[in-house]
Amino acid sequence: MAQPQGCAVSSKERMKRRDRIVSALLLTPFILVTALVLTAIVNIMIQSLGYMPVFDLYDVTLKYYIEILKRPEVLQSLAVSFKVALSSSLSAAVLGTLICAALVRTHKTKGGMLYTVRLPILVPHTVVALFTVAMLSQTGMLARLAYAAGIIGDYTEFPNVLFGTGYFGAIIAYIWKEAPFIAYFSLALMSGVNETLGEAAENLGATPFRSFMHVTLPMSMPAIARGFLIVLIFSFGGYELPMLLGATMPKAFPVYTYIEFLKPDFKLRPYAMAMNGITLIISLAMALIYAICMRRLIKKIGGSYEG
Amino acid sequence: MKDKRFMKAVLVITALMIFIPVVVIVIWTVTARWPWPSLLPESYTLRTAEELFFGSHKLTEILLSSILLATLVAVLGTLIALMTARATEIYNVKGKRAISFAALMPLLVPGTVFAMGIQVTLIRMHLNDTITGVVLVHLVAALPYCITIMMDVTAAVGDSLEEQAAVLGAGPLRSFVDASIPQLLPGILSSVSMAYIISYSQYFTTLLAGGGKIKTLALVLVPYIQSGDRALASIYAVVFVGSALIVFFILETLIHRMVKTK
Repeated sequence: MAQPQGCAVSSKERMKRRDRIVSALLLTPFILVTALVLTAIVNIMIQSLGYMPVFDLYDVTLKYYIEILKRPEVLQSLAVSFKVALSSSLSAAVLGTLICAALVRTHKTKGGMLYTVRLPILVPHTVVALFTVAMLSQTGMLARLAYAAGIIGDYTEFPNVLFGTGYFGAIIAYIWKEAPFIAYFSLALMSGVNETLGEAAENLGATPFRSFMHVTLPMSMPAIARGFLIVLIFSFGGYELPMLLGATMPKAFPVYTYIEFLKPDFKLRPYAMAMNGITLIISLAMALIYAICMRRLIKKIGGSYEG
Repeated sequence: MKDKRFMKAVLVITALMIFIPVVVIVIWTVTARWPWPSLLPESYTLRTAEELFFGSHKLTEILLSSILLATLVAVLGTLIALMTARATEIYNVKGKRAISFAALMPLLVPGTVFAMGIQVTLIRMHLNDTITGVVLVHLVAALPYCITIMMDVTAAVGDSLEEQAAVLGAGPLRSFVDASIPQLLPGILSSVSMAYIISYSQYFTTLLAGGGKIKTLALVLVPYIQSGDRALASIYAVVFVGSALIVFFILETLIHRMVKTK
């Protein structure tokens, strides 16, 4: 009796070991790519602390961070990037939620309208910059329409939204691309919630508006918030749009960082890396704040959704 | 019903906001002169098409290399994502939460930061200014999306059909390919499509890892936007977006058909 049982156990053990080996093999390429990301982070940390043996820099110090943060133009440029990221992502979240709700409410969750909403997701940022120039420059389409309507008498009267220190061009360009992204990103969850709980609330007598505000919207929050975090970090670290649509001074932080990075004197490299380190710390802080808010939200709505 | 009318208006305005700039750029591609303040061009030309095919940049070469690069990233990214998803969803590997977090990590590290941080390593590995280097940095950008998609579909499909095939005597690879792949195919194609678009759109990472030697449409478009030759910039933009859309719609049609026949 003992013999066959022992055999069964050992074959189970063997299966388990085989599964473990297969999993390890399956995960190898993923681990290699992840190692690449970690290497980049470690490189930034080491170099920003001034440790670059190749160039005889051995002292580990915070002086590069401190000196960078003492430059007034760095603070201005951080403020610009903050403003662009926050205002564009907040607007994109609000508009994206509205578009998503409109898709759900009018039952246009597939077909032509959905492809229309997905279009901006497919358009690269460089092309979005071109769109923005063609539409919003002082001789752009909007200015011409304003002239035709008699609102302005000459193109010099059209507000200079592009290349100004307000970064309105970059903000509008980000909204154009990211509001549809958030709408598409939240669509699956929102239409699911609406079909079940939202319609149940309406059957119980809630108006569509009330059912949306009190049931569908809060339950869809995890997807909306997650989409918001993705676009917030993306636009904070984004390069193309502020480079093509922004002012010469102050520059968006990633644009300024790249200029510092390109300086041929390698002894200056720790400054650029400290700037990358600052962007990284701010991005991680944004993710942390998001995680804390999500935990609270999930407690509040009592759902079992993963944030 | 008032709210439905409002929601319809929202969609109409959204569609207008999305399409008007596209139409304006398409008109710009054939514009010779478009002086202020006319709403339509004064004269038209095919100069841009000429420049496109016979100009300083060899369009077909750049188009081909952009498509090849994006295809490579899309296939590799989906393959890696599929393997990762098999490990976490079918083989129930330990540390699934850690893997899920690591998979989403690139979304928390801006592309500019990653590209500048990894450059030293690429140089040390002699991968800077090479296709391999560019593929690697594009993979980092695409994988979070590929893995999310593949984990979802792998969990949904499961391995019950595969086990049946195995019981009937098929080997593990055979039962995976014959039983699970057909069910996974819509997910595989949406992952391919997502990774393709992401790689195709990359500007900064391509510039840094490729050192300007690996030329893609995203890279050649930027100087035209900066130079202010709007007609030429527009035709490159139309080719850029148009070629991405063609690939996207081919994949979408395939997905649609598969989901229908199931």
